[in-house]
Order: sequence, then structure tokens, then C-alpha cells
Amino acid sequence: MAIEIRNVEKTFGAFTALGGVSLDVRSGELLALLGPSGSGKTTLLRIIAGLDHADAGEVSFDGQDTRDRAARDRQVGFVFQHYALFRHMTVFDNVAFGLRVKRKAERPAEMDIRRRVDQLLTMVQLSHLATRYPSQLSGGQRQRVALARALAIEPKVLLLDEPFGALDAKVRKDLRKWLRHLHDDMNITSIFVTHDQEEALELADRVVVMNHGQIIQVGTPTEVYDTPADSFVFDFLGGVNRLNGVVDRGVARLDGHPVRVDGEVGAEGPALIYVRPHQVELGVAPADGVPEGKWSARVSMVHAAGPVARVELDLAGRALEAQLSRDRLSDLALEVGSWCTVDFRHARVFPAKA
Amino acid sequence: MTAAASTSGSAAPRRGRGFLAPTILPGFGTAFGFTLFYLCLIVLIPLGHMVLVAAGVGWTKFWAITLAPRVLHAFYISFGCALVAALVNAVFGLIVAWVLVRYRFPGRRIIDAMVDLPFALPTSVAGIALTAIYAPNGWVGAFAKAAGFKIAFTPIGIVIALVFVGLPFIVRTVEPVLQDLDAEVEEAAASLGATRWQTFTKVLLPAILPALLTGIALAFARGVGEYGSVIFIAGNIPAVSEIVPLLIVARLEQYDYAGATVIATAMLGLSFLMLLGINFLQRWTRSRHAR
Repeated sequence: MAIEIRNVEKTFGAFTALGGVSLDVRSGELLALLGPSGSGKTTLLRIIAGLDHADAGEVSFDGQDTRDRAARDRQVGFVFQHYALFRHMTVFDNVAFGLRVKRKAERPAEMDIRRRVDQLLTMVQLSHLATRYPSQLSGGQRQRVALARALAIEPKVLLLDEPFGALDAKVRKDLRKWLRHLHDDMNITSIFVTHDQEEALELADRVVVMNHGQIIQVGTPTEVYDTPADSFVFDFLGGVNRLNGVVDRGVARLDGHPVRVDGEVGAEGPALIYVRPHQVELGVAPADGVPEGKWSARVSMVHAAGPVARVELDLAGRALEAQLSRDRLSDLALEVGSWCTVDFRHARVFPAKA
Repeated sequence: MTAAASTSGSAAPRRGRGFLAPTILPGFGTAFGFTLFYLCLIVLIPLGHMVLVAAGVGWTKFWAITLAPRVLHAFYISFGCALVAALVNAVFGLIVAWVLVRYRFPGRRIIDAMVDLPFALPTSVAGIALTAIYAPNGWVGAFAKAAGFKIAFTPIGIVIALVFVGLPFIVRTVEPVLQDLDAEVEEAAASLGATRWQTFTKVLLPAILPALLTGIALAFARGVGEYGSVIFIAGNIPAVSEIVPLLIVARLEQYDYAGATVIATAMLGLSFLMLLGINFLQRWTRSRHAR
């Protein structure tokens, strides 16, 4: 099911949670709402589910306005951050709840409910725990019960609020992969909220970056990562070096040397140069001084655990982080205190805020 | 005392461990001794003595006194009115607790304090206040009179007095559990297609039920034992609006100590049975979820 969101506004007292948000969700896609806390992403999700009401604007499902449809009539599966399982019901009864509360005319026979719930529990790999109570399950298991419960009503849309937020790193990674497969199998329009950029970039078909109740950018993970719309998106989507430079006659300069820049250089005057750590290129400093057009920096720390090495540098008093392969690191023979040349493969320039 | 004896008896096969698990808290002997002494002095000895005196009259006389129509009716009124009042409070006390927990409105603190008033007020004060309102010449009583029935000096009046004294028990036991309930659970039920009523009966009520039962038990026990507020509004007409505690006092005033003790013992037995029943009910509901 496709969802159109038009100029949705929502305020809580003096706080603007959503300031006129418009978004098209395509049928069958897995969409991530990504943003820091307070950016309005959960509010947007709740408005789609009918758990909150927009002050203005409209949300329509396949072209039909949802204004007068209560949450219970929307056929939306909602997975809560803290699962919100029914404590006094077994896993089985939790999953069966949505089927058992249907109007008599639509309610499946108890045998069909049983079959359907068994099927769902098998799918989330929990059939052996059907008679347990939620308090007897681990966080990851509870999360999967919550998911099975939401899927039981055969929702047109699946909404997940920080689905992996309360889980530890290992379980989170497993569940993430598993959810992606599940989505591909069921082909159900899904939207999930997260503040974890890695999760959004890895899992989603498209990512919606939000901040201060506004949508800043919508695009595929590659698009938003490679061509961020502004400094906020650039900053939010991964590690970044922020360097104070200047734009002079259309050329961005750092310490006098010109910087290769993708896209617009922007207005003249002080500017912020953004470089991702893996776009920093290090070289061996020749004994007779630094070559023209390059910077030189002193190594202040080397982290060489894992496939990628991180090197912290001191570039004329500024902290700079570089990422490079372990092989490259040993080629350069860098150690704390040694000098190297620095160049930037890609950089973006944004006007410095006053 | 019998409890202590049976405990040490059952511990005998596990010799060497003693009858208490090792603990790092010092002073168990002293504290346990004090507890036993205190309970004996306050609870066991007086009650035991009463039962002994009642037993002294012999079985036939015991049953003759207890099964006298006037006494039976007093039991019926005492337990019946207390039960009705507890159930009325269960419904309306739950609503009051709900409003206090879920909504923020001006004057909430005042309403919150008002709930505790029946706790703090001397019950005879409550009795006088209620009688003044519900007597046939009082504000509400006049309306009832016009409608053709009486409130004060009938069992209805007793129920009203017991509702008054029992209210805080329900509200204060249910309140913390309601506070603990996540609004997300209700939202989850709604998003799964449940109506408000289904959400209440299938999700909220089962979660509150153990606390609600505790509240009902407390309000009921309080209602059975209530004296001060009831005697004013009840009118104490034999076989109409006479409660057991009053009957006991009446017997005492006639220097009929045996009669008074017999009725008191019967009351003790019945209360004990009721309490036992409610405890089992609680255990049953608790075993069904709070795991």
C-alpha cells in the first residue's frame, strides 16, 4: 500500500514536533525514518498509525484520506520500542489477540486462529515458546513476538518504532538481517524509525533524514551517504572531520592550499570543510619538506584493531581522523609521533555558521 | 505457637541446617522472639481466650444463640452490606483511581486528598454527617422520601456508610498498579483492532485484577468490622438494619457476656473463612499472570 503524507503539522505545547512534512511512501518498500531524538520521526510514525492526530495536513492510504479512521480500523501493524506485550497472556495468546478481537463476522474459527498463530510463531522461530509468558523471554524474543503479533492481523503497513533500540549489538545485527529477509518475503510496505544511521543505511530501501520536525533529505542509502543535502545530513550519516577553511574567489582553501571539492563551493568567506575519515589520504613525508599542494600532519594515535585502521592526526593544531586499510598502514609505517602528508580525495564545503 | 512447633518438626529430617536458612542479617533470634511475643499478646491470646469462653457455653447453646433469627439477620446484614459496599467501591473506586492516574486537571490534588478523608475522619463523624444528609428530613433523604423509599435507617443507609469508609482501600491499592501500566499496551491493543471495551476487559482488567481483589478484600474486611459510622445511619432496628457488632454491644449492655462472646466467635470464624477465600482467589489470579 502506498502512503501519501501532505503538509502534516503537529505541536506539543510550544514544541513543534512536525512542521509541515510531506512524504510519499511507495508500495512494498522498506523505508527508514532517521534522525536524532526530538526530530519528529516517532511522531510521524504514530500519526500514520492513528495513535496521534495531526494538527494539520493529511495522510492517505492508497489515495484515501485517513482522517476519520481510528487506529483500530487502519490495518496497521505497529511494533513498539518497548514491545508493549500483554504481560498476563502467553506468547500464543499475545499473537492471537488481533484475530480474537475481530468482529464476529470477520473472526476466523478458533482452529484457523490456532493454525495462523502457529504459522507466525514458526516464522519468527518461537514456536517452542508458545506457552511462555513475556517476562520469561529475552529482549530479542520479545521483539519477535511483538512482530508476530503485529503481522497476525495481515496489516497493509508495518510500522516499527526503534525496533532494535533496546537490544544488544549482536542480537541487533542478527535481527536486522532477519527483518530484511522477512520484508522481502512478505513484500509489505514497512516504515521503521531509528536514530542509528548504520541501521538505516544497511536495512532500508530508502532513507528519510529528519531534523527539527522537518524532512531534510529522502533517498537511497547510497544517495544520502554520497550526496548529503546539507551539513547536518553529512554529519549525521557517519564519522566526519570538520575543518575551518575559507572560500576565496570560488576556491576553497585550507591553510592556503586549495581543496578538491564535490559540488558547490558556496558563498565567499569562512567555510567548513567536511571530509569523511576514509577520504583522507596519507602519504610518506619526504625528508626534504612537504610537496606542493599537500598538508603535513603528526600522528597522535593509531588504532589498529579490526579490518580498518584509524589514525588520529594533528593537522596544524586541528584534530583529524583518517581511516585506511591495515596493509596501507604497514606500508606507511606510521607510528605515534611520526609525520606524514595529508590529502583529501573528496570533500564538501558548507558555509560556516555565524 | 502451633506454627512454630510444626515448622521445627518438619525441619527435623534436615538436621544440621537448623530450621532457618543461613543469613547474614544478625539478630534473628531476638527479632523472631519479639514478633511471636507481640503477636501473642495482641492477637492470639485475646482471640484464643474469647474462643475458650464461647466454647464454655457448650455446643447446643452456642448454636441456639448463633442461629436465633435476630442474630442470623444481623450476620446477613453485616456481611451482605459489606460485600455490596465493597463491590460498589470496586467499580467506582476503580473509576476514581483511573481519573486520578490518567488525567491531569486543575484540582486533582484536592480530589486526591479527598479520597483519604474517610481514612482520617473518626467514623462517628462520618456517621453523623451521612445521617444528616440521608435522613428523611435531610437533603438527599427528602428526595428519596418523595420517591417513596427511605435511605437512612435501612440497609441502603448501611451500604452508603460502608461505601464511604471503604473507598480509599480500593483507590489506594489500584492506583499504583494503574500507574505502572504502560499506555503503550493500550495503544498496541487499539492498533491490533480492539475496541475500547475489549481493551478494558482483555488487557487492562486482567492486569489490575489482583490489586482490585486486594482492595475489595480490604474494603470488605473494613466494612464487616465497621461500627461508628453505621450505628447512626442504620437506626438499628432489629431484624431490619441491625449489624453484628451492634448486637454484641447490646448483649454486653445486658450483661450477657456469654451471648456476646458466642456471637463474636461466630463472627471471627466467618471473617476468617472470607479472608481465606479471598486469599485463594488472589493466588489463583496471580498465578495466571504476574510471572
